[in-house]
Amino acid sequence: MKQNSKDILDVKIVTHKDGKDKVVEFQYRKSSINEKTMALDVLLQAQDTILPNLAFRYGCRARNCGVCTIDINNLPRIACRSVVRNGDVLKAMNTLPVLSDLVVKRDNISRQLRGKLKTNTTKNDLNVEAPKEYHELTACIECYACLEKCPMHEKNSHDLKPNYEKEYKWGNPFTLLKLQTVILDPLTSKDDVKYSINSAIDFGLEECLDCPGCKCGVGIDLKGKVIKPLVEKSGLLR
Amino acid sequence: MNVEWKKYDVLVIGSGGAGSHAAHAASNKGASVLVVSKDPLGVSDTKISEGLATVRESGSNDDSVETLSENIKMAGADLSIESLTNAFSQDSKLAYDKYRENGLRPTISLKSQTPKPLPLPLGGHTRRRTVGHNNSGIAFAHANWNAIVSKGEIDYKEDCWIIDIIVDKKTVIGAVAYDAQKGIILAIQCPSVIIAAGGLSTLYFPKTDTLRGNTGDSYALAVRAGADMVDMEQIQFLPFCLTSPPSYEGLLAGEPVTASFLGVLRDKNKNIILDSVFLRTRAQCSEAIMKSVEKGNGTINGGAFLDMSANKRAPKSGPYFMEYLKTSLPSAYNNVRQALSKPASQCDELWEVRPGAHYMMGGLRVNEFGASVAGELYGKVDLGVSGLFAAGQSMGGLFGANRLGSTSLTEGAVFGLRSGEAAAKNSIYNPLKLQSNDKFLKKISEIDNILVTKGKYSSSSIKKDIQKACWKNLGPIRDKKRLNKIRKLIELWKKKIKNIQIEDTLIWNQSFIEYIEVKNMIDTAEIMLFAAEERNGSIGGHVRIDCKNISMFSKPYSTVVNINNDKSFNVKRVYRNRTPLKRMLFYKVEEIKRLLEAKTIRFLPLSIKDKILEKKYKNIMENNDEMSSIYPGSPEAAIGEKTTL
Repeated sequence: MKQNSKDILDVKIVTHKDGKDKVVEFQYRKSSINEKTMALDVLLQAQDTILPNLAFRYGCRARNCGVCTIDINNLPRIACRSVVRNGDVLKAMNTLPVLSDLVVKRDNISRQLRGKLKTNTTKNDLNVEAPKEYHELTACIECYACLEKCPMHEKNSHDLKPNYEKEYKWGNPFTLLKLQTVILDPLTSKDDVKYSINSAIDFGLEECLDCPGCKCGVGIDLKGKVIKPLVEKSGLLR
Repeated sequence: MNVEWKKYDVLVIGSGGAGSHAAHAASNKGASVLVVSKDPLGVSDTKISEGLATVRESGSNDDSVETLSENIKMAGADLSIESLTNAFSQDSKLAYDKYRENGLRPTISLKSQTPKPLPLPLGGHTRRRTVGHNNSGIAFAHANWNAIVSKGEIDYKEDCWIIDIIVDKKTVIGAVAYDAQKGIILAIQCPSVIIAAGGLSTLYFPKTDTLRGNTGDSYALAVRAGADMVDMEQIQFLPFCLTSPPSYEGLLAGEPVTASFLGVLRDKNKNIILDSVFLRTRAQCSEAIMKSVEKGNGTINGGAFLDMSANKRAPKSGPYFMEYLKTSLPSAYNNVRQALSKPASQCDELWEVRPGAHYMMGGLRVNEFGASVAGELYGKVDLGVSGLFAAGQSMGGLFGANRLGSTSLTEGAVFGLRSGEAAAKNSIYNPLKLQSNDKFLKKISEIDNILVTKGKYSSSSIKKDIQKACWKNLGPIRDKKRLNKIRKLIELWKKKIKNIQIEDTLIWNQSFIEYIEVKNMIDTAEIMLFAAEERNGSIGGHVRIDCKNISMFSKPYSTVVNINNDKSFNVKRVYRNRTPLKRMLFYKVEEIKRLLEAKTIRFLPLSIKDKILEKKYKNIMENNDEMSSIYPGSPEAAIGEKTTL
């Protein structure tokens, strides 16, 4: 059956193998004219047809797991819930080293907080409520869209080749968010609050002073709820 | 491929609710721990769940270990093992507190000074004891992530696929893995391995609401290591998942309880196939839908219609119902709002729904410390694989034939902690005494042979075939013909996988990754097939349309599958204790009473019905605290959503 051109989306997928990028033109076939095609649908269909070994991450298909982030036209998007249009370019995130095709290496971020996250509160009475802001921050799905244009994270750029079992020196909005969560937790001791603020400073919080702000993949007010309170507490403004 | 050798006391496979707690507990006991995860740290079914946890005594003073334990066993059709249900009930508070130590913060009830439970008990729970959370499962995932990262003493690797557990004389000596980041083989020598690698729902993709990574790794690794697998025919299907559009297929639309007092299921001719939906179990609803499809009355996408319009139509109670629907499962309702039409999300139109694979009740046959057991009846540790443990969805025997809502997050923590401590202890008392590396080297040379395979099939296309066939023949309804079909297909897949195409890349070799997962899927399907053939009657998640229901008065038994030396599978039955007749009748009478009451309400004149329901909703809603307004998926959130406008 001949396909109507309205049923087809022309998309470019940038693959990456052994250090080399390649642009693949892909014609996505819609199931109906009204279909709102998500980027993940395109990647799945490409894998089913012309690119059987296409590498990309995905998990829940419902914007909860945070692993399918890619760049669409050079901006970070959560693939399972981002609508694709004719001519869009799908590529690995530009903020982390590419392992293969659309898969990036993520763990140099999480390793920044090894031994630095003071969440252990065994000695406390646990029946204490956390403030509203605490829950606003635990909405973070760790999609790393916030790394885009982060001046702190950009300082790692010379380090963006795969680096095994090591952490990046400079921080990013996600790392600061985790530290701020600990600070907001009513069960955290005064010493640990201080320690967390110092960690934020060590990660390069100073960069935030001249930065217009970061953008969260799931709508958390990073500037207002993470950066601002950290900067205020840090004494960097004085 | 290059090989890197490592030594640890405890290897944990998986970094979700079970794996993170296991690693945390083992590390606290002084063991050196490596967590290996194929997906990024903490990305698991726990993360994408509705975030409901069972916490004993959170809602009423008359709750007890015995009551909770009995609730689980009754729901599980007496297949549940009492030592496991007791361990679960005993530790549910303690395990929940571990979550809180790692940063989970619930709402606290002022009156009782406990985490505040939902206003109503979930189906099958005879007490209020389900605690809900801001940000659902994501809040739990933060705690899991913290448990592994914060202390800095647990080593971890993501993007790493365990290929096989290495066993010598029925004793664990380590495991071999593919580290996709480095493009090398890892040979990990350790006396204890904890499998916490989740379920198998990806065998039914896209007809599932769970994570992509659920390729049955837990079960395939365990069975190949020589462990017994129990109740492997028992899968829980969520009855109300979406059927279209493609990006939403399989995602959760609602639960029986959210269909509320007047919700019914209808077939394509709009005839009622199940009433009083809110009182039914997930298994009962799934069965009703699939039986109607089998009769040729299925909807266009092979499901049924969920009709909640009667709830909506009542002038006084209708608005309460809509509020209840929107707030009780926010992410499910959000799926509906995005995927279906506006009138449908307002419940003026019917929802097309179809079951989706959700949770595997079966799994590794273990004792109350998560250790592998074998033998008759409840099995013995001496007969199991020494040094092998399982926790969470990987293990079987706790939930039997049906799992109650909100129990799985608690299960992960309870048995994660138990197995973590037991594995640490095992490593101290039974350290490795390796005579040689022969077993590792043999496995590594097998892998090197696979890596140079240049056949004609791609693993990803075999994966698609498996997913289609499993839904059709090993899914929510089964019969002899279907099982015979899957047997033939498994033989075919086994042949095909020997003749596959593997790329030459070392780093993130997608074709090799697909191969590892497909092999696990084939083995898992075969274990399930053996169990499903042995169980020649319907019970819980196993619906045989060619056989009778298994009577609740007959002697209960579990199926046990293991592997023979020649790599063929073996199945047998082990018998279970039946709950005393008097208790069973008590539960049955209570169930009938509730159903009768619901039916009566449905047939009352609208004005009277409306008044009664308004009162009921007011009762529920007044107890309900407002949840935080930002959750992933809310319309104001989300970068992705904005690109659509």
